[in-house]
Amino acid sequence: MNALVEQSEPSVEIALQFDAVSMEFPDGTIALDEVDLTVERGEFVSVVGPSGCGKSTLLKLASGLETHTGGEIHVDRSHLGYTFQDATLMPWRTVLPNVELLMELRGVPAEERRRIAMEQIALVGLEGFEDHYPKRLSGGMKMRASLARSLALEPNVFMFDEPFGALDEITRERLNDELIELYLRKGFTGLFITHSIPEAVYLSSRVVVMSRRPGRIIAEYDVPFEWPRTPELRYDPEFTRLAGEISVALRKALEG
Amino acid sequence: MALKTLTRSARTQTYKPVPVTPPPGPVKRFVSAVVPPVIMGLLLIGLYAWVRSQLPPHRLFLMPSAQGLWEQAFSKPEVLQELWERSLVTISIAVCGLAVSIPLGMAIGIVMFRFHVMERAVFPYLVALQSIPILAIIPLIQSALGFGFLPKVLIVALFTFFAVPTTLLLGLKSQDPGILNLFRLQGAGWRKMLWKAGLPSAAPALFAGFRISTSMAIIGAVTSELFFLAGKGGLGQMLINAKTEFKYEQMYAALIASSALSIGIFLIFTWVGNLLFSSWHESASRRG
Ligand SMILES: Nc1ncnc2c1ncn2[C@@H]1O[C@H](COP(=O)(O)OP(=O)(O)OP(=O)(O)O)[C@@H](O)[C@H]1O
Ligand SMILES: [Mg+2]
Repeated sequence: MNALVEQSEPSVEIALQFDAVSMEFPDGTIALDEVDLTVERGEFVSVVGPSGCGKSTLLKLASGLETHTGGEIHVDRSHLGYTFQDATLMPWRTVLPNVELLMELRGVPAEERRRIAMEQIALVGLEGFEDHYPKRLSGGMKMRASLARSLALEPNVFMFDEPFGALDEITRERLNDELIELYLRKGFTGLFITHSIPEAVYLSSRVVVMSRRPGRIIAEYDVPFEWPRTPELRYDPEFTRLAGEISVALRKALEG
Repeated sequence: MALKTLTRSARTQTYKPVPVTPPPGPVKRFVSAVVPPVIMGLLLIGLYAWVRSQLPPHRLFLMPSAQGLWEQAFSKPEVLQELWERSLVTISIAVCGLAVSIPLGMAIGIVMFRFHVMERAVFPYLVALQSIPILAIIPLIQSALGFGFLPKVLIVALFTFFAVPTTLLLGLKSQDPGILNLFRLQGAGWRKMLWKAGLPSAAPALFAGFRISTSMAIIGAVTSELFFLAGKGGLGQMLINAKTEFKYEQMYAALIASSALSIGIFLIFTWVGNLLFSSWHESASRRG
C-alpha cells in the first residue's frame, strides 16, 4: 500500500465533514468563517460557543436548509435526523401521526409507517400517549415525540440544535440519559449543539468550542469517559476538571 | 459588583396577605354569564316601551307592541308559513352566494400566499372592494344582470368575499416555520406543505373568516331582495311588501326572522369551530 492510497482511504470512516466552510448571509452577515470539522462515523460531537456564533447555521448548512457560500461539505443527507430547540410538533395532530410525518412525506406505506412509529414511541417512553394532542404534553414529552419522529427515519447522522435548552434541569438530565441509550442502541453519528457545558461533556465523545461570530472552531476536547455514562459521572473530579477547562476556553472565545 | 456592600434593605411599606378564593362553581358561572345579558335585554325592552309610550297615537304603528306582534304575526299560521318559506328562499340565496365567495376567496388567498407578487398586486384591490358601498352598486348590478336569482347571488358573494382570503392569508402566514423546515428537509413540494401543514394550521383563522362571511351572507341576501321585488322572494321582499301594505307587525316579524337566521348561523359556526379545533387549538378551547 502506498502513501497515496492511504490518504484517499482513511482507516476511519467519515460521517460528516466541513472543509473550510464559510457562510455569508445575503445581508452581509458572515456567520461562519472557514470552519473545519470532521465527524467520524459513530462519534458524538457537541458544539458549544457564544450565542450567535453560527452554531445553528452549521446544522442548517449540513442539512441543506441553507446553502453555504464557501468551502465544501461532505454529508449523506438521505438519512438525516434533525431536532430543533422547539419540538415543532403539528398541534393538530396527535402524537402518533406526528411521529409518522417524516415517513409520510417520504411515501412510506401507511401500515409500515404506523408500525415503525409505534416502535419509536415505545423507545422514547411515550407509550399510551399516542392519541394525545401536543397541547396536553409536557415539554419533556413533546421533545421525546420530536426525537421519535426523527428516529423513525433511522438516521445515520443525527443533528440536535439545543433540543433540551427549554427544559428544566431534572427533565434535561433524564433526557440526556435516554439520548445516550438511544445513541448506543441505534449507533448513529451525533452532532449536538448546546449552551450547557456539563451536558456537552456528559453526552459526547468530543466537544468542539467555537469562537464569536464569525464562527470558527478554536478548540477541541476528547471526552475519555466510558459508555454508558451514569449520572454519578457529573460529580467525578475528572468530569469537573474537563468541564472547567472547556468553560475557560469558552470564556476566552467570548472575550474574542 | 461589590457584593460586600449590599445589605438587606429595610422595607417601609407594610404589606399583608389577602385571601384568594378559587374560581366560582358552574352554577355561579352560569348565573354570571346569563344574568347581565338578560338584564340588558330587559332594559332595552323597557327603553322600547318608553319610547313607544311617548309616540303620538297616529305614529304608534311604527313600533308594534308585543301583543300586536303576536296577534298580527306570530300567532297566524299563514304568516308563520310565509316566514318559513321566505326564510328558505333567503337561505338559498345566501348559500349560493357563499358557494361562489368561499371557494373563490380561498383560491385567491392561496395564490396570494404562494406568490408574494400576487399578494402585492391583489391585496389593495381586496381592500378597495371592501370599501365600495355595495348598496350603491346594486342598481348597477341590476342593470347589468337583470332581476333573476343570479344578481342576488352575486351581491351576497360581494358582501361575503372579503373575510375569506384575508383570514386565510393571515393563517397561512403565521405557520410555524419550524414545521415547514421539516417538510423542506424531506424535499416536500409546496403543494404538500400547503395541504399537510398550511391549511390545517390556518384552519382556525379561516373558520373565523367563514363565521363572519356566513352571517354576513344573510344580511347580503336580505339586502339584495330589497331591490328585486319580482317573483316569490325571501325575507327582504317580505319586509318591503309588508311595509307597502302597512302591515308593520309582519315587517317586524320578517326583521326578527332574518336576524335570528344570522345569529343562528353564527352560533352554529361557533359550535362547529369549537368541535373541530378545541382539542388542539389554544384559543378555541375556551368560549368567548
Ligand atoms: N437568515 C439570516 N440572515 C442574516 N443573518 C442571519 C440569518 N440567520 C442567522 N443569521 C446571523 O448569523 C449569526 C449566526 O446565527 P446562528 O443562528 O447560527 O447562531 P447560533 O450560534 O445558533 O446562536 P444561538 O446560540 O443564539 O442559537 C447570527 O449573528 C445571526 O444573526
Ligand atoms: Mg442557534
